[in-house]
Amino acid sequence: MNAYAGIFAVSCNREQPEEAKTLQREQQLNQFLAGVERRALRFAEIAVRDRDEALDLVQDAMIKLARNYAGQPEAEWTPLFYRILQNGIRDWHRRQMVRKRVMVWFGRTSDPEDDYDPVAQAPDPMGRTPDEQIEAREAMQTLEHAIGDLPARQREAFMLRTFEGLDVAATAVAMGCSDGSVKTHYSRAVHTLREKLGEHWQ
Amino acid sequence: MKKPLDDKDLAVQAKALFDDSVEQLDAATLSRLNRGRQKALQEVRAGGPAGQWARWVPAGGLAAAAVVAVVVWQGAPVEHSVPEAGSAADFEIMLSEDSLDMLEDLEFYSWIDTANAVPDSDVG
Repeated sequence: MNAYAGIFAVSCNREQPEEAKTLQREQQLNQFLAGVERRALRFAEIAVRDRDEALDLVQDAMIKLARNYAGQPEAEWTPLFYRILQNGIRDWHRRQMVRKRVMVWFGRTSDPEDDYDPVAQAPDPMGRTPDEQIEAREAMQTLEHAIGDLPARQREAFMLRTFEGLDVAATAVAMGCSDGSVKTHYSRAVHTLREKLGEHWQ
Repeated sequence: MKKPLDDKDLAVQAKALFDDSVEQLDAATLSRLNRGRQKALQEVRAGGPAGQWARWVPAGGLAAAAVVAVVVWQGAPVEHSVPEAGSAADFEIMLSEDSLDMLEDLEFYSWIDTANAVPDSDVG
């Protein structure tokens, strides 16, 4: 009887740390994802110009990170997450290109009502006047269009460095390229944006 | 006179606008993000030892089904529409001239067979 109790106790002691470890990892990941999800959504939305598609892409990236990299050190999650998201965005653009080709072949074009509408309907949490809100939205719209017109790699480098605040090394991991390439893409992106936005901004 | 926009100003202004747009996200969008996050966290729960085994169950089932299918297929009775090699050889022997001679002396061979079957003590 005592022997059975001993075996049971050993078994419980083995399982408990494992469960506690999983729970701790889950809490850490929850905290990480909660901190990154909103910015990731806007990141994806600027890249694909569609909120629903962006939501799907962010959800897929979160699931893939949890499935494949939850065991990785927490410090590596940010570049890994953005790498997964970038890959999802690239795949999305490839699918869109194929879809457009098929649509052209069948003589159909996209519905103008499906075009991206960046004007949000929510009240302003910062308490600004409607004029100030409109001004800020228009400025963001101009910026989004300018970023959206950049080549994909320049757009990725600019958004990761500027919006997410990743350093060159982390951006390189997220983009799957060298540090030198990140610097080149970022520099070109800034140059192009400055030319485009210089008239609007000061 | 407007001050020319330098790289740092551009980055600062762009980030401020981006941060502002993040804050403007509506409740419905935030709710969808939350649901997506909870779905992702289920993957961590499923990532334990039991969960890892559970993940292989469909693949294992498929592999087992494939093995069973192959075994059943190999074990099924096969109908031979052509004669076996052994049958053809027998047929050739039957048609050979030697065999026809043997048929003519059938009584003789039958007697030899009977004689061999009888013990020596009976012959003597």
